[in-house]
Amino acid sequence: MRLRRNREGDRSARETQILGWLFVAPAIVAVGTLILYPLVTGFKESIRSGGILFGEKPGYVGLRNYRDVLHDPTSQSAMRHTVEYVVLAVSLEIALGIAVAVTLHRVFRGRGFVLAVLILPWALPSVVSGVLWRRVFDPDTGLLNSVLLQLHVISQPHIWLAGGHSAILFITIVHVWGVLPLISLIFLAGLQSIPDEVYSASAVDGATPWKQFRHVTLPLLRPSIAIALTVGTLLAISIFDEIYVLNGTALNTRSILIQVYNTTFTEADFAHGTALAFLLAAVTAVFGALYALALRRSTV
Amino acid sequence: MNHRRLIAIAALVLGASLLAASCGGSSSSGGASSGGSIKGQTITVMVPYAMPQKLLDEFTAQTGVKVNYQRLGWDATHNKLVVANTAKEYIADVAEFDWSFTGQFSGAKWVEPLDTVLPKPLLNNLKNTDAAFSADGHTWAACYSNDFRVSMYNKKMFAKAGITSFPATFDELATDVQKLKASGVQYPLAIPMGATEGGVTPWYLLTLAMGGQLFDNNLKPQFQSPSSSGYKALQWEVNAVKNGWVSPGAVSMDDTPAFDKFTAGQNAIVLATGPGNMPTANDPKQSSIAGQAALGLVPGNSGPGASFGLPEGLSIPVTAQHKAAAAAFIEWWEQPKNAIAIYHTQGSLPCGADALKQLSDSGQLQGGDVVTAELPHVGPLFPSGAPIWYEQFSSDAQGLLNAAVKGQMSVGDALNQLASKAAARTQ
Repeated sequence: MRLRRNREGDRSARETQILGWLFVAPAIVAVGTLILYPLVTGFKESIRSGGILFGEKPGYVGLRNYRDVLHDPTSQSAMRHTVEYVVLAVSLEIALGIAVAVTLHRVFRGRGFVLAVLILPWALPSVVSGVLWRRVFDPDTGLLNSVLLQLHVISQPHIWLAGGHSAILFITIVHVWGVLPLISLIFLAGLQSIPDEVYSASAVDGATPWKQFRHVTLPLLRPSIAIALTVGTLLAISIFDEIYVLNGTALNTRSILIQVYNTTFTEADFAHGTALAFLLAAVTAVFGALYALALRRSTV
Repeated sequence: MNHRRLIAIAALVLGASLLAASCGGSSSSGGASSGGSIKGQTITVMVPYAMPQKLLDEFTAQTGVKVNYQRLGWDATHNKLVVANTAKEYIADVAEFDWSFTGQFSGAKWVEPLDTVLPKPLLNNLKNTDAAFSADGHTWAACYSNDFRVSMYNKKMFAKAGITSFPATFDELATDVQKLKASGVQYPLAIPMGATEGGVTPWYLLTLAMGGQLFDNNLKPQFQSPSSSGYKALQWEVNAVKNGWVSPGAVSMDDTPAFDKFTAGQNAIVLATGPGNMPTANDPKQSSIAGQAALGLVPGNSGPGASFGLPEGLSIPVTAQHKAAAAAFIEWWEQPKNAIAIYHTQGSLPCGADALKQLSDSGQLQGGDVVTAELPHVGPLFPSGAPIWYEQFSSDAQGLLNAAVKGQMSVGDALNQLASKAAARTQ
């Protein structure tokens, strides 16, 4: 009797295990097909020669393509530009995001309407916001030149996206315009999770609004800041549409992703294109891991 | 619910997901047509220009072959073809084949040689443009757009400025530009200079028109020296920006918006355009300067300068599913009656000698006298065919020339970098 019960117990445990695997199997198939297979195929491509199109014998070349893109001046300048985009965009998004969230945290008339309007730029595809902003920066017919000429601030139309750092700043503004609503909402949610009692207690202790912000709000917003940093960095690293629509593949504003696109599709150089894409993915993964770690520390 | 029933349901879900995954991952066979009747087949045609549905219906009525006509921008068409061909996946039965594809596409064997598929008389009729699509002893595409660079101007603006004929030399052009500016045309010239293929074409043309070549016969770059035509051509473009001959926006403009500005009456001269754009410029539905556009010979140093051809053709990718039907479609397009009808609707100047003669004889060829006069000055950009690395060279040129016209880089630095990159490709 006892033996039979044990056997039934073993069978039940085995069936539970099989059932578990069957439930997980669709996810494994999906991840394997849609993520792992392209990753492995892409990596294989990144360590192969360019082949007949580049006058080479087809075959594996180790990490040569990675070395090539790291030493290529155009890729190096695209990397520098991407760092500039990330630093500028994330700084602006965090500073402005907190400011917007603190403002919207207060109850005032029309707050709901302002919230609805705030979300609009986030709802627009980045290509569309690029097209809208082109109407601002266009040297011939753009709003910016038109207004400045009317006000006699400038005497000749200015080419806004021809400079080095200034062009990157303008494109970053367009990017931040689209991402800021999301970052603000992340901070707003964080602010709403801070109990009012904490502010009441600090007020009783004589804390001024600035001190409350510095010593209560900011420390308690750390999880939201970690999330905002992660989202902001990943979106800025992968900036593409705004640059492509506003300034095409011009060298002065080219990001790594534009360089990947140009190398892979325009030049049909899949080997170097995928190598660059893998380097970008590695950097993105490192940032993602760092922020995840920071988030874990701030919430534990 | 007991365990066995749950396992059965889970197995069903897994089976369904595997089926879905396998369906999603399935690819076209890419096999060739069986060689039987083409009637009832549907072919996909990928060309970057519009095609009236009425004409396609006529083809279907004649052959029983339906056409799925995919029109995308030139760059998008090129990139999709490159991706699909690299992956050896089916994308179209008839595909765009620009003159600049010849080295790359034939070298990689991405398209079928047409000399074994199309009838000899048809290929003979396309002899004039055949060289642009020939490599390794084969013809890889059938020309449908006899495009070459020629200039276009606004007769009304010229008359207002007191100019009686189109300038034949660059000195005359400089004088006329000043007259046009004085008469109220703020930016007389339309020259695209953006970081695009359309943005580098004017530099190619200016280099040839100023008496030079981009490369010698051994594909050695010829544009680094300040005395070279390539150097002078880029300096001329930089000066055109500085002197306000072109609008400031020209530095980020592609060829289509530049031409649109001309047809909107904002510029007086398009230095480099195709003769096929004449019907568009003079069509009241598409242009606000209808009746005022005329063609002019490309200026040179002491008379009309050299120009070059940019013909576009139709090819059959090796992955095409209905190759016989695709060949029938190309034959149909090349018939003079159809080629002329297409010219009238989308401006692609026919390549076939018979179609050109019919157009000219019937007086339907707009600017026909200038077209005839320009043809002797037209040659290929690469006398021995576009090299296999042309796309990489063009991509490098797009970024570097654009940096020079924007003032981010000197002309010398831009061209030296371009030359060293080109030299590295030829090694």
